[in-house]
This record gives sequence, C-alpha cells and structure tokens, in this order.
Amino acid sequence: MNVRYGALVLAALAGVSPPALAQGFKPTRTVDLVVHTGPGGGSDVLARAIAVMAEKEKLLPVRMQVVNKPGGLGAVAAAYLAEKRGDPNTIGLFTGVWLQTPLVSAEARITLLDLTPIARLVLEPAVIAVKADAPYKTFADFIDAANKNPGQLKQSGGSNTSRDNVVRQLLQKSTGARWAFISFPGGGERIAALLGGHVDIMVIEPEEAGEHIRAGNMRVLAQISEHRLPAFPNVPTLKEAGFDVPVVPQVRGVVAPPGIPKENVEFWEDFSRRLTRTPSWRKYIADNQFEDGYQNAAELAKFYVEFTDRMRAILKDAGVKTVR
Amino acid sequence: MEILSGLANGFAVALEPANLFWCFVGVFLGTVVGVLPGLGPPATIAMLLPLTFHMNPAGAIIMLAGIYYGAKYGGSTTSILMNVPGESASVVTCLDGYQMARKGRAGAALGIAAIASFVAGTVGVVGLMLVAPPIAKFALSFSSPEYFALMSLGLALVVLLAGRSIVKALLAALVGLWIASVGTDLFSATSRFTFGQMELLSGIDFIVVAIGVFALGEVLANMETHEDTQLLPVPKGLKNLLPTWQDLKDCRFAFANGSVVGFLVGALPGGGSTIASFLSYGLEKAVSPRRDQFGTGVIEGVAAPEGANNSETGGALVPLLTLGIPGSGTTAILLAALVLWGFKPGPLFIPDNPALFWGLVASMYIGNVMLLVLNLPLVPLFAQVLRLPVYVLYPLILGMSLVGVYSVSGSLFDLALLALFGLLGYLMRKLDYPSAPLILGLALGAGMERALRQSLMMSEGSLSILVSRPISAVMLSLAALVLLIPLFGRFNAWRLRALEQG
Repeated sequence: MNVRYGALVLAALAGVSPPALAQGFKPTRTVDLVVHTGPGGGSDVLARAIAVMAEKEKLLPVRMQVVNKPGGLGAVAAAYLAEKRGDPNTIGLFTGVWLQTPLVSAEARITLLDLTPIARLVLEPAVIAVKADAPYKTFADFIDAANKNPGQLKQSGGSNTSRDNVVRQLLQKSTGARWAFISFPGGGERIAALLGGHVDIMVIEPEEAGEHIRAGNMRVLAQISEHRLPAFPNVPTLKEAGFDVPVVPQVRGVVAPPGIPKENVEFWEDFSRRLTRTPSWRKYIADNQFEDGYQNAAELAKFYVEFTDRMRAILKDAGVKTVR
Repeated sequence: MEILSGLANGFAVALEPANLFWCFVGVFLGTVVGVLPGLGPPATIAMLLPLTFHMNPAGAIIMLAGIYYGAKYGGSTTSILMNVPGESASVVTCLDGYQMARKGRAGAALGIAAIASFVAGTVGVVGLMLVAPPIAKFALSFSSPEYFALMSLGLALVVLLAGRSIVKALLAALVGLWIASVGTDLFSATSRFTFGQMELLSGIDFIVVAIGVFALGEVLANMETHEDTQLLPVPKGLKNLLPTWQDLKDCRFAFANGSVVGFLVGALPGGGSTIASFLSYGLEKAVSPRRDQFGTGVIEGVAAPEGANNSETGGALVPLLTLGIPGSGTTAILLAALVLWGFKPGPLFIPDNPALFWGLVASMYIGNVMLLVLNLPLVPLFAQVLRLPVYVLYPLILGMSLVGVYSVSGSLFDLALLALFGLLGYLMRKLDYPSAPLILGLALGAGMERALRQSLMMSEGSLSILVSRPISAVMLSLAALVLLIPLFGRFNAWRLRALEQG
C-alpha cells in the first residue's frame, strides 16, 4: 500500500515539476547495447556488467540488454549501428578494434565519426608476461635474447592490428630486436600457447595474468602503463625499464547510431558520466585494474583523430597497407 | 580418498533441494534449446545471466552447466527427424540419423542418441573428476602444428565419407574449404572473398550452410519425387520405438569411442564439439566391419557422434576449471559468468572453491540421469512428427530451417544465403556429389588454415615443424594412412585379378 502511494506521489510530483533531465530525451523501450564479440568476449563481459550496474544504480528508466554482433573485427557491429540511424534506444560499446579495422579493411566502411561518439569510459593497461620457468628475468633480458636470435622468439596475440602487435612494432622499432608474432583468435588460446611453451612472451591483461602468477605459472616483466599498477608494485613500467615507447592503451567507450538529436547525445553522455561515478563502477574497474578514462563526446572525437593518426603511422611503419 | 570425500561433499551440495531444482531447470532448458535449431547454449546462458546474480553461485553454475550439456541431448532431435541440425555438433548425426528415420527407425535413432549421450556424458564427468590436471597438461602440449595434424586427420576422413566417387568427394571438400575462407582474415585483418559485401565480413556461418545443404536440399530433392501420398513408416508401441538389444550391442564400440574422443578433443582449447563429433564418426566408420553401410542409416553412426558431443562438455570444462582457459563459445560465457559472480577462474580456482567444483561435478552425474529420464519418454512423442503427411512435414522443415537461421544472426542476408545453399544442396544431390565432405571441409577449414599459418610463423616458414614434433608426426602419418586405404583396396583387387589370370 505504502509503495503504491509513494509511486503515485512521485508520479504527481513528476507531472508538476519534472527534474531537469526529464524535459529532454528518455529511452522508451529496452535499450540495446551492441558489442562486437560473442557471449563471453571481453566487450561482452564489460557490457553485461554495465547492464547490471545500470539496473542496480537506477541509471535508466528502462532495462538494458546486450546484443552480440560478432565478426569482421568490429566491422559488423559498427555497420549494425550505422543501420540503426536515428534509433533512440540503441547504443554500442566500442573498443580499439572499431577504430583500427577501418584503417586496414576497405569493406569496414564505418568509422567512429560515421556514428555518434558519446563517451570514452576506460583505458585498459596491460603487462608483458613470460612463463614462470623462462630464462628472462627482465624485459631487457628478453630483448637481448631476441637480438641474439633474430626472428626466433615468438609472441602470441590477436590480429596484426591488435594492441599486442602495435606494442611489439613500437618495441621492435625502438630496440632493433626482431621476434615473431603469432595470431590466435581467442584469449584462451594465446595463454595456452604461452603456458605450453609454444611461444615465449605475450601482452596480457593484468587481471588475467594475476591468477597465473599466483599459481606460479607466469612472470610479469614490464607494465604497459603510465604508472605502476597497484597489483604490480615491483614491476617496472616499460619507460622505467628503459624502453621509452608510447603507451598504447586498450580503449573502451560508448557510441550511438548516426543521426540522433542533440538531446539524445546529451542523455547518453550524461548516462556515461553518471555510470563512471557510481560505486559499482569504481569497484569494477578497481577489480579489473582498468584506468578511469572518462572523456565526453567532444573530447572523444578529438581523441579519435589523434589515436587513428598515430595508429596509421605505426601500421604503415610495420608494412601494413592502410586504406583510410 | 581425496576424490571420494570431495565427491561426497559435492553430492551434499548438489542434492540440496534448491540445487536439485536449478539442475532440473538447467537440463530442461538445455533440452528445449537443443531441440530448437538456431538459438544455442551460449546465447541462452547469456540471456539468463542477469537472473543468476540473485542466486547462490553453486545453484547458478549448476543450472548454466545443465543448459550446456542438456542442449547436447536435444540437438540430435531435428537432425534425425528432419535433417535440420539443431546445433553444429549434431550435423554429423544427420548422416545416419535421418536415413534411419526414413527407414522407420526414428525412434531407435532418437533413443540411441539419448543413451549414447548419457553414457558418454557420464564418462566425460568421470574424466573431469579423475584426470583433469594431467589432461590439462596434455592439452597444453598441443599447439598449432598438432592442431593442424589433428584437423588433417579429420579432413582425411573425406575418403570415408565419399560416396561412389572419391573425386567428387574431394571436390565437395574443396568447396567447403573455400567457403571457410570467406570473411576477415585474422592475421592481416583484410577481407577475403567478400565481394565488397559488409555482411560477408564475419564469414559464412557453418550452421547456415549445414541447414541449407542438408535440410533444404533434401526437401527440394524429395518434392520432385511426388511421394506426397506415401507416409514414412512409424511403428506403433513404445517397445518397437526404442533401440533393441541388438542395437545396443552394435553400439558397444561407439559408446567407448564417443566417450574417449569427445573428452580428449573437448579438453583441447582449440578443439570443440563439431570436430569431436566428426572425428568419432570417422573413427567409428574406419573400424566398423560394415563400413560400406554408413550413411544409409547405421545406428553406430548416430551413437558415436552423439556420445562424443556430450563427452566433450566434460572435456571442455577441464581447461576452463583447471586453467581458466575457455575453449569454446559456451565455456567462454561460463567463464564470464564466474568472473561476474566475483570468482577468479584460473589454476587455483578448484583448490580455492572445492565445494563449488565438486558440487558441479556431482550435479552433472545427477543431471545426466535427469536428461535420460526426460528424453527417453520424449522419443515416441517426437517420432510422431513423421506421421505427418509430407505437405505438412516439408513446410514444417522449411519453417524450422528459416527460424533456426534467423534466430542465430537476425539477418535477412543469412536467409538469402540459406536459400542459396539449399539450391547448392539440391544440385549436389542431382549430380550425385556427397554433401558431407563439403560440411566437413567447412567445419575444419578455418581452424586448419589458421593452424598451418601459425605453425609456419613459428618455424619461420619451414614445413619441417609439422613432422619434427612427435604428436603431430603420428597424426599426420595416420592421416596419410587413411588416405591410402582405398588405394590398397584397389591394388589388392588388381593383384587378385592378376593372380587369377596368371
């Protein structure tokens, strides 16, 4: 009885003096959050966590559900959002591959700027790991070994446009060492290749490495981060270890379909900002050792241009043909 | 002793009324999801994930795992009755299962699928319980050269899947390999055979081709034969529907084969149930005394792959739970679930959470019994589908195919592809090309190419890496042997003829 009465009062209040936000746009049905991986992929997990937080922290008047549009290294999901032109109830969760794939694939026609950039959410640092019984105690040891046996050592990772390979390219250029890069479709296979001793090194997310370090299977040589991560106080960053290469973060953020009105952009921008202020979000990024990377729509558009310019240069340097 | 006390504790967890209930919910949903083509376990688990945040983790993992192995039971139903594979792991089941149904033995096929699933599923759990750590270590010794060799062995089975003409079978397999190469190349991020079509960037879904070539091709070919008045024979009475004692005896080896092959392939992070089911079918055919009857409705041809895809779930949980490494789509979402519940999957997951692990193991024994009890009575019910006259049955098959494909991708483009592959299946039947090698080539193509390129990157372009590693060398030799079997036969025939004449 009380609850219903309260709701009535709230409704009445809302009718008389609506809060600032209610004047503008609000989603009218379940919001679709589009990701480019299948269930269980990195973006999918983050998206499902966001959907739970949006409900728990009451950030949306409606429910949010995750829609998987895997394939084409992000291109399929980006194209799906582009088709949803003007749709008020669909947004996407983009990552670095959404930005990089259009640089090298002619068919991946949709760049972030063909959609509506909303906000950047997180930057994910990474660590460089080897198997626990590997002879390399520092990253310099690995570079020395690579210098002595050019092309003999191997790194497991994703596609050649992935962050893993970009880091390798930067390090190869700055040190003159050369080692092989072997692409595996899933994170699990990359780790299996390292633990099985089939490759020598990998770039891995700190949280993923954590359990293997605790079990004594892996050792971390350096961090790809501006500052040392709380979980790895004794491991130097690449810069501290003497390798002054730009830190390449894995970036994740929110994007909306093209052609939505300004008040929709503002709503989603505000949603993203409020999301990153909630205790659930703070805990989530601390647990996963992400960095808060919030930027609003205007900053994100600027970041996009800088990021792709730098990426294009790195890819060209590596002999990868760019098309945009 | 440690295992016994662990298992005792596990049953204490799994037999709690709430957990028993969630186990039943899981296996029931799994059966439903398996029967319906299209919507698979990963999507179902993802949809139910928000619900599990309000549950205790033991109940939640028991339910989600139930969906995973439960779906493997149901997957064979539409394969057998309609030639529409319910899951990619049930594609092979079409080969002999559908032919059994055409001969009026749908009940026996459905029954043996459930029994093989139960036997192999249980063996898979025993494996998970007893040998998880050493098997995980063995799985890690597999890398790209070994995967290439394993898939070459699988592809060599084309010879066994061939109909009258080996050349036609090889051609069909090549087309399958070609379809597998459509899409975005992992290594270079460039697109291949996409003809500027954005929809092709993600490649062509295996299940679209399988449903098109098998189900639509079959419907189109049968429409020609004007058998509109002739009903398929379905015997009456439960006893005549279930497998006979002789059937079970014929399947003795298939049960063992499916259990072992499924578990081992499942434990490999790059394995998967599709490969497991093809391999066990091939192995079954290779050693069978009635090899030449495979593809015409042999009961072992249903039991082996259906066993393998159930045992595979036990295997796939090995790297997931002992190393935190997911091998397939479903284990990836289970891993995500564990992370979202606040666990840290990895090498220390089992030691840190013994109650959860043993609870899950115990629940899988219980769940497999539930599934057998749930599925056997459904056999007569499902077998009635074949009593439908063809003017009802064929539109039903068509509808199931369309819904199955559309529910996977939600894209009209895939429906157009489905029609195209239906036509291809029809033409292949008309021209007497076997469709199984095409499907096999497609199932193995992408992984095989990837493994070969990874191997060559590891060895800086030297092919010797494929034969210098023992496991890979053994499997490649076996593949060569399988390819040579028909030649031996021909040589022998020629020799006998020469002797007679001499």
